[in-house]
Amino acid sequence: MDNGLKLGVFLCDCGGTLSKVTDFSAIKAKLQKLSDVTYVGISHDLCLKRAQQAMQKDIKDKGINRVVVAACSPELHENDFMNVVQSAGVNRHLLSMANIREQCFWAHPDKGKAAKKAMTQIGMAINRARFLEPVEQTQISVNKDVLVIGGGITGIQAAIELSNLNLKTTLVEKEATLGGKLNRFANLYPVQVSPEEVLATKLKQVAESQNIYVLTSAELIDVSGEVGNFSARIKRGNGEFVRNFGAIIFATGYTTQFSSQIYGLELSNNIITQSQLEEMLKSSSEVKQIPKSVCFVTDISDEHSRVSPLSALRNALGIKEKFRGEVCVLCQNLKVDGAGLEKLYRDCRNKGVLFIKFDNSPRISKQDGKIKIEVEDVLMSGEQVTLPCDLLVVEETSVPPLDSKVLGSTLYMGLDAQGFYQENNVHLYPTASNREGIFFAGNCHADLDLMQALTDASNVALSAYQLLAQGKIAVEAEKVMVDPNKCRFCLTCIRACPHHAIQEAKVNHEKMVAQIADLACQGCGICAVVCPAKAIKPKDWSDEQILAEFELLGEYV
Amino acid sequence: MANESVLVIGGGVAGVSSALKLAENGFQVYLVERGPIIGGQAAVFCCKATETCSQCSVCLVPEKILEVAANSQISLVVNSEVVGISGGIGDFKVDLLQKPGFVDPEKCIACGICTELCPCEPQKGIYLPFPETAPRTYIIDKNQCLRFKGAECNVCQDNCPAGAIDFEQKPKELEVSAVIVATGFEVFDAREKGLLGYGRYSNVLTGLDLERIFATGDSVTLPSSGECPRNIAFIQCVGSRDEYIGNGYCSQVCCKYAMRFAKLLQYQNPEAKVTIFYIDLQTAGKGFGEFYKECKETIRFVRGIPVEVCKLSPNELEVKYEDLTKGKITKESYDLVVLSVGTAPRKDSWDLARVLGINLGDYGFFDTQDTLDSSRTNVNGIFLAGTCQGPRDIPESIAHGIQAASKVIQTLTARAI
Ligand SMILES: Cc1cc2nc3c(=O)[nH]c(=O)nc-3n(C[C@H](O)[C@H](O)[C@H](O)COP(=O)(O)OP(=O)(O)OC[C@H]3O[C@@H](n4cnc5c(N)ncnc54)[C@H](O)[C@@H]3O)c2cc1C
Ligand SMILES: Cc1cc2nc3c(=O)[nH]c(=O)nc-3n(C[C@H](O)[C@H](O)[C@H](O)COP(=O)(O)OP(=O)(O)OC[C@H]3O[C@@H](n4cnc5c(N)ncnc54)[C@H](O)[C@@H]3O)c2cc1C
Ligand code: SF4
Ligand code: SF4
Repeated sequence: MDNGLKLGVFLCDCGGTLSKVTDFSAIKAKLQKLSDVTYVGISHDLCLKRAQQAMQKDIKDKGINRVVVAACSPELHENDFMNVVQSAGVNRHLLSMANIREQCFWAHPDKGKAAKKAMTQIGMAINRARFLEPVEQTQISVNKDVLVIGGGITGIQAAIELSNLNLKTTLVEKEATLGGKLNRFANLYPVQVSPEEVLATKLKQVAESQNIYVLTSAELIDVSGEVGNFSARIKRGNGEFVRNFGAIIFATGYTTQFSSQIYGLELSNNIITQSQLEEMLKSSSEVKQIPKSVCFVTDISDEHSRVSPLSALRNALGIKEKFRGEVCVLCQNLKVDGAGLEKLYRDCRNKGVLFIKFDNSPRISKQDGKIKIEVEDVLMSGEQVTLPCDLLVVEETSVPPLDSKVLGSTLYMGLDAQGFYQENNVHLYPTASNREGIFFAGNCHADLDLMQALTDASNVALSAYQLLAQGKIAVEAEKVMVDPNKCRFCLTCIRACPHHAIQEAKVNHEKMVAQIADLACQGCGICAVVCPAKAIKPKDWSDEQILAEFELLGEYV
Repeated sequence: MANESVLVIGGGVAGVSSALKLAENGFQVYLVERGPIIGGQAAVFCCKATETCSQCSVCLVPEKILEVAANSQISLVVNSEVVGISGGIGDFKVDLLQKPGFVDPEKCIACGICTELCPCEPQKGIYLPFPETAPRTYIIDKNQCLRFKGAECNVCQDNCPAGAIDFEQKPKELEVSAVIVATGFEVFDAREKGLLGYGRYSNVLTGLDLERIFATGDSVTLPSSGECPRNIAFIQCVGSRDEYIGNGYCSQVCCKYAMRFAKLLQYQNPEAKVTIFYIDLQTAGKGFGEFYKECKETIRFVRGIPVEVCKLSPNELEVKYEDLTKGKITKESYDLVVLSVGTAPRKDSWDLARVLGINLGDYGFFDTQDTLDSSRTNVNGIFLAGTCQGPRDIPESIAHGIQAASKVIQTLTARAI
């Protein structure tokens, strides 16, 4: 077989443990018979630097152009071996691995069968190696500016931190002023500073920064392009303009909604929402008649929110301290799993705030303008309690801003069941979206308190910095590619790509074809599977490679 | 700023996340860990999936450990502690005390010969603690190894094909521009709550014990008889939300892990009855509501924390609690009681606080200087990450670790201008 290939096979017996149970020299002898195998080496410790240096030298000296490693799991050292191959002057993708340790000798007690399986796996890796293709590394230069949508505390903090990192930011806020929800709160917890002070400090930093450009009363209309080179259409007043950015951060926060069905009640002058109470306390002059008894009902419309019990606790204490009187908080499970909340709960009780826990929702009625609350207090053997109350503060649920849905769909970003932005992986990348270069921070994707929102802002600023700071991004060019001759432009792949990485393009000024943006593509391979014309090929896992592997599979089964 | 180096103290998931972010952004990182390997507490925890993933996040830890192992910008300094620091931001000089680790991670190829040959039974004296260790090295367990019991065993040293087992190592001095403290937490010692019987009755376990049992791949059996438990009680808030013992905070993880364990135990044995005794259930968090709804179908939730656990017979424990629906003290019998222990500050935080000159705050966690920045300490150039600052679960510890890295880079960028 003369195909110009020179395969080098590197076997590792893991400190001699594997050669005790099978004869490595026999494997070597067998492999040497293959006409395109130039070199077979046996090492005891291929995972160590010393052996890798020798491997690099062998690749160079013997002119090897395809490398096969039969050793432990690729999870452990594949990247190291790719580096070795690259440093020997061979493309790092021209490496194929067989896991003969975990998948063979460690998995099977019958060492004879394990050895047979190992031989098959090595053969499969060799077959695959013959069809490997190089993937070139290139660099694409990117725009270093960042667009932040939403000028609440999260957006402000993200802009400040990006500015500290020397990146220029445009902060777009749809309202006339920055600050979001913080503008409405009378006080904050556990932060010991007033919301006015927090905002004043932050806005001063924004004003002093050379790197932050603020656009209030402005809205994002549309975005085209991809990571490193987005162009955003922004509307302000009657005008519209387009600017280019390398990355986009969404910090559009939340709005609150009162659902009268849950309580069977409408809002009135003595039934108010938490937001209305915040506003009332903020401008205490408005409080004409000091209520003698105030009740909070929380943890009822959304049992799994942390911020609304937080707001109830904070304001219960505030009212108790300010107006005295009776203050009572009704809840199912008090959410105290946040910084300082247990302490706040204790402070409330020490100051005389009454807590009533229920399993069955309280019945609230109104007679002659007076509110009556009936509830079974589970801490008092389920005793029926009737509470008179001058002012009832009801809970609201956090919901996404109205335009989230529209923005989500124009930008191809996923939404969760409640309509908040859906993170790419809730655990792994809590601030990354499904699209490369687009991030979420703050309450537009999760129910966070202020400190958590600030942590999000730090995380997202660093993500954008890491992506853009060098002014260029290293990519593997055409690791997944569309063959323009085969593409029938049926749009199947464009619809299937979860990362919105495929766009339409014209070749030779005539034919429309699908084109994959290397920067945005995550290499998942979905498009290659769905393409009816078989026009798309992931270079690391092409059909030829997989079929070549399959050829040997029968020998083992 | 390029090529500056940063010291991260503590190789738990928070410290590891800081180290990775710094390294990815071009910094040289020294990750100093007191133990022989990195990963921290959560490295020995178990996956809590039944047929579906229960989103406990434990699988993120081995993933991060492997990333550290593959990153050449991070130097792992294990078996070491910081004993002195001088200088300030931009040029800290740090003294490390390194304890002999016996197995040289640079040489160990993780072949497993030593474990095979080690004469200690049933628990070996040298082993790989779990599959994804970094450094990828076997470790000597001083509680098992015969050498530490006065014997002259040399089996592993003589047979190691890589010559990795060695007893000599030397102290080190580092020069770094900034420091991140990520020394984590201590699991509350349930013995402090004597009435609940931990340490006295073999069938009283803690959440940490369950983590370890499930992590070895075993199913949970009654320590007293080896049988599968049928009637299990979880007691929440052991060592948390308790001002009397000085822990007046919620640990933030135990409600969720208890519910996940309860589901896992029922998955293992669908007949098993599980009761969870609680004060308030902490179910906030994206996606947890659905899981809680499922739990309510098969798990009995009882409001109120038991005061005492007694032993009736070798396989029978009695749980005494106030039944709030009747207002009476009630006794129920169970075959297994699990105490949901939470996050406690490390008792030795005080030593590190003194060495570094940073403040301790409420309850003994490290204190932040700026109320709006939970990573900043009173010393410019020293930052905090993870549970050493306050209770957090794994995803939040990771996010906090990244936040600390972000603050380091910002502070050093400002200095560079
Ligand atoms: C009643 C209540 C009480 C609370 N109390 C506390 C407390 O005591 N302590 C605490 O730590 N946390 C508290 N929180 C939580 C706190 O409010 C949030 O953590 C914080 O405000 C989140 O900030 P954000 O910037 O993410 O969102 P927001 O404050 O909602 O800001 C979002 C901003 O984006 C703008 N925007 C939205 N859509 C667009 C668009 N399409 N284009 C341009 N701009 C847009 C909005 O106008 C707004 O200015 C409370 C929450 C509630 C509901
Ligand atoms: C029983 C239990 C179950 C849990 N289950 C879950 C769960 O299912 N899901 C979840 O998300 N979270 C869970 N958690 C929480 C989780 O354990 C923590 O969030 C996480 O481990 C915190 O990581 P860390 O890096 O902050 O600290 P740690 O994991 O404590 O790591 C700190 C590291 O620093 C080292 N160190 C300490 N002091 C020094 C020093 N002076 N010098 C050098 N090194 C030092 C330690 O050896 C350790 O390696 C659970 C907690 C408990 C107690
Ligand atoms: S491989 Fe995946 S991410 Fe890349 S273009 Fe195809 S479908 Fe999109
Ligand atoms: S998470 Fe649950 S068990 Fe743990 S301290 Fe908080 S309330 Fe108690």
